[in-house]
Amino acid sequence: MTATETPAGQLQGFDDVVRQYRPRIFRFMLASTYDRDAAESLTQDCFVRAYRNREGFRGEATLQTWLMQIAVNLVRDWARNRRLQFWRRLQAAPQPDVVREWMPSPDPTPEARAMVREQVAAVWEAAQSLSERQRTVFLLRFVEEMDLLEIAAATGMKEGTVKVHLFRALEAVRERMGKSK
Amino acid sequence: MSEHLSGPEISAWVAGERTPQSDGHMAACTECQARAVRLERAVDWFRGSIHAWSSLPASSARRRSLPAPARWTLVAATLVILAGVPIYRNVERQRAAEQARADSLLLEQVNASLSRPVPAPLEPLLNLVSGESQ
Repeated sequence: MTATETPAGQLQGFDDVVRQYRPRIFRFMLASTYDRDAAESLTQDCFVRAYRNREGFRGEATLQTWLMQIAVNLVRDWARNRRLQFWRRLQAAPQPDVVREWMPSPDPTPEARAMVREQVAAVWEAAQSLSERQRTVFLLRFVEEMDLLEIAAATGMKEGTVKVHLFRALEAVRERMGKSK
Repeated sequence: MSEHLSGPEISAWVAGERTPQSDGHMAACTECQARAVRLERAVDWFRGSIHAWSSLPASSARRRSLPAPARWTLVAATLVILAGVPIYRNVERQRAAEQARADSLLLEQVNASLSRPVPAPLEPLLNLVSGESQ
């Protein structure tokens, strides 16, 4: 087994680790906090913590899952420390222009544009209404496309609990889409 | 065909909670397929929009989220207010001192007027009388 194949070896070139995983960690932080500055700061904290604890990485989970576990804990602490402020921000966070204007195809018809906007807005609003745990599970599954076992490892929840949170999150989305019809 | 899947059953199916019955129904029912596809597609679009948001360069994101002119106006207004408070206090203090001086002067004039033995126009006459008596 070479050095880079061992768990600690995967963290040898830490610059490469940061380069590879930073976009994903930042995206999760941004979607969790709705605050770009906080997301930048938390992403930095995530890699600092990973570096300090690199000896603790045993390779039981993938490097991505291990980093996401650190990210989930940081978001949880951040939200708890600013409970009221965070809740208010979340409730009031408007869709940024880039989210509102985003289209899956380059030249949509006006009808398709309206439909995409309406449905993205419905999911955005539903995500705002979720509890912290439901939102985390929802984002890890549907934004980061992690499977249930990876989510369970990253959040410290049982697989069954992850399924329940995911179901409730999707129910909130479905109901919101029904209201926005 | 059995009844359509309920809303929660559609959510459960999309969440991965599938049973042989729900899979069997979904395979045969175009209406339930369409409802599940609609939910999955909305979530896919949400993912696309979040990816676009997080890929935005920091400077352009900051321009969008924080209107700089408004921020600088706020900063300038705060500085003006902070600088204005001591000036205002100083002006108030000066005004109070001037008022106290004016009040004191007026009081002295009143005292002087009250302490005269005769009205001011008769004072030369009083001086003359007192001179003669000496």
